[in-house]
Amino acid sequence: MTIREQDVYVVPGPKMTAWEAAYLPEIFRGFGTTLRHFVTSFGQGSTSRTMQYPEVRREHLPVEKGGQEVRNFRGVHRLNRDEQGRVKCVACMMCPTLCPANCIHIEADVSPWDDREKYPKKFEIDELRCIYCGMCEEACPVDAIELTTEYDVVGMSRQEMIFDKEKLLKVYDVTISKKPM
Amino acid sequence: MDAPSFITAQLLVSVVVILAVVHLVLVLAGYCTYFERKVSAYIQDRIGPNRVGFDLNLPALWFLKGLWGLGQPLADGLKFMLKEDYRPRGADKILFSLGPIACVIPALIGFAVIPWGGTVEVPSFTIPLLNWRIEGGPCVVAGAPVNVGVIYLLAVGSLSIYGITLAGWASNNKYSFLGALRASAQMISYEIPLGLCLLTVLLLTGSLLPEKIIEHQAAHGWLVLAHPIAAVLFFTCVLAECNRTPFDNAECEQELVGGYHTEYGAMRWALFFLAEYSHMITSSAFFALLFLGGYHLPLGVEHHLLTPEATGVLAMLLKFHVFLAKVLALIFLMMLVRWSIPRLKFDQIMAVAWQGMIPISLVIVVGTAVLVHTGRSSTLWMLAFNVALAAAIYILLPLMPRATGNKRVRLAGSRWYPAVGEAVRTRSNDPRALEDRPYEGSLPV
Repeated sequence: MTIREQDVYVVPGPKMTAWEAAYLPEIFRGFGTTLRHFVTSFGQGSTSRTMQYPEVRREHLPVEKGGQEVRNFRGVHRLNRDEQGRVKCVACMMCPTLCPANCIHIEADVSPWDDREKYPKKFEIDELRCIYCGMCEEACPVDAIELTTEYDVVGMSRQEMIFDKEKLLKVYDVTISKKPM
Repeated sequence: MDAPSFITAQLLVSVVVILAVVHLVLVLAGYCTYFERKVSAYIQDRIGPNRVGFDLNLPALWFLKGLWGLGQPLADGLKFMLKEDYRPRGADKILFSLGPIACVIPALIGFAVIPWGGTVEVPSFTIPLLNWRIEGGPCVVAGAPVNVGVIYLLAVGSLSIYGITLAGWASNNKYSFLGALRASAQMISYEIPLGLCLLTVLLLTGSLLPEKIIEHQAAHGWLVLAHPIAAVLFFTCVLAECNRTPFDNAECEQELVGGYHTEYGAMRWALFFLAEYSHMITSSAFFALLFLGGYHLPLGVEHHLLTPEATGVLAMLLKFHVFLAKVLALIFLMMLVRWSIPRLKFDQIMAVAWQGMIPISLVIVVGTAVLVHTGRSSTLWMLAFNVALAAAIYILLPLMPRATGNKRVRLAGSRWYPAVGEAVRTRSNDPRALEDRPYEGSLPV
């Protein structure tokens, strides 16, 4: 289909003032803006927005300066333990049902303990698939799964990033001092 | 015993200058990438490369760690060397390899004629062992003190376009080819005002020798004062010739992926980069030579070290550094331009050259020729002419017919400009977006 003349609408440009119509002064004003940012942020000056990451971490900064809000930060998961050190999870399957990313995989078995019927024989979370929405945490009836404040999780392979029960319990052991239950 | 006739003091000086300047420019081109990244980072309120030092991961060299990221160009170069040398299957083998080479060579021979350190007085001496007697005398501190120096610069500067075109053609990729075509069209357009501005300078100085142009400026004041409009036009052309923003249409990412070097990787790609930055250095030196007095600095003292009369070794070194400082300042200005002015569309680039810069530079050449012919070649006369020209442009510009490329076509399903008779279903809540939309709801059929 060819474009007909009556279909074309010419959008007029904004009217320039006499000063702007001289072009060069405005261009030099633009240089001024650029140069101001160059000077003020030189050597991590006042307008510089960079955080020197491995040395400075978000935990070290106040929240209003871009620091981490520990109370509701959603980092890597952990599986909580009860007072006797057993996994708290009762394998009710709430979290894999609710999970929007389908990244939780639980295999339930008959519990070896008297206080509950089931326990997770296998509990795996694919941390690469997870979208860290925190729904699992909301759904859990026994507060067994929680999101911690850890955010720099790395691995050498995809397989390594699928966290099993032991690893998730280990995350609990490491982070319990930082984020109590 | 007499030396062969071609071995003169000038030749020895030239060889030394070539050896020094080629290495300097290669290192400088590498560090220009670092400089570019650092300047961009600071302008965008970031920090830029600041981790790679020269410590080579050895604990004994802890004091070389970091160093504001000065090791970054070396690390980048090493990476380019070690990367896979990749060539697409449909590419023309020979031309594909020839592209980067044809790009780098003109960039590296361009500054042969730049008189970095003015003239140096070489004493007569004898080369030991060979026992050759070399007659001394004043020698120009340049790679090649040829009589057509400035013309040579102009010719070699535009040669690199062959490399770009070859690369774009040989890649067998439509984006590369479009990028190369744009680069050549742009080069052709901007050669003309560049040459005309150069002609203005030559009319005033009356010589093609770079050394004479600097001498004229030392005697009569820098030409940027006599011809500010020509200087601005020349600098704009230089930006276009170097394919820098706002004229980097040949490699604009939004439309052409990477432009003419889309299919290139590793060291071949790095050669394009090297050529681009060497070109920047050469063009900056060219601009400094023509308009900023070369190595000359007006210090308010008669016969100081930075005038053409001083021919000592100390004066030569000092002049070299002053020249280099001017070049670096101009490169910084180019980077400033890059982050201040948005890129032009291709039709706008052509319009700026053919409808704006070529007529203005023609008027400048004719006006300068008339003034020089009538004996009014002083800086004040030229400045008066420039002011009159600027006023004339300012008055005449609104009266000129203007083409607008800013057109909009009604489209079915368009939220902002719907087809006739079509109802708009969604509505933006942003007042700025509503202001931009001429119609609300449905249009009358």
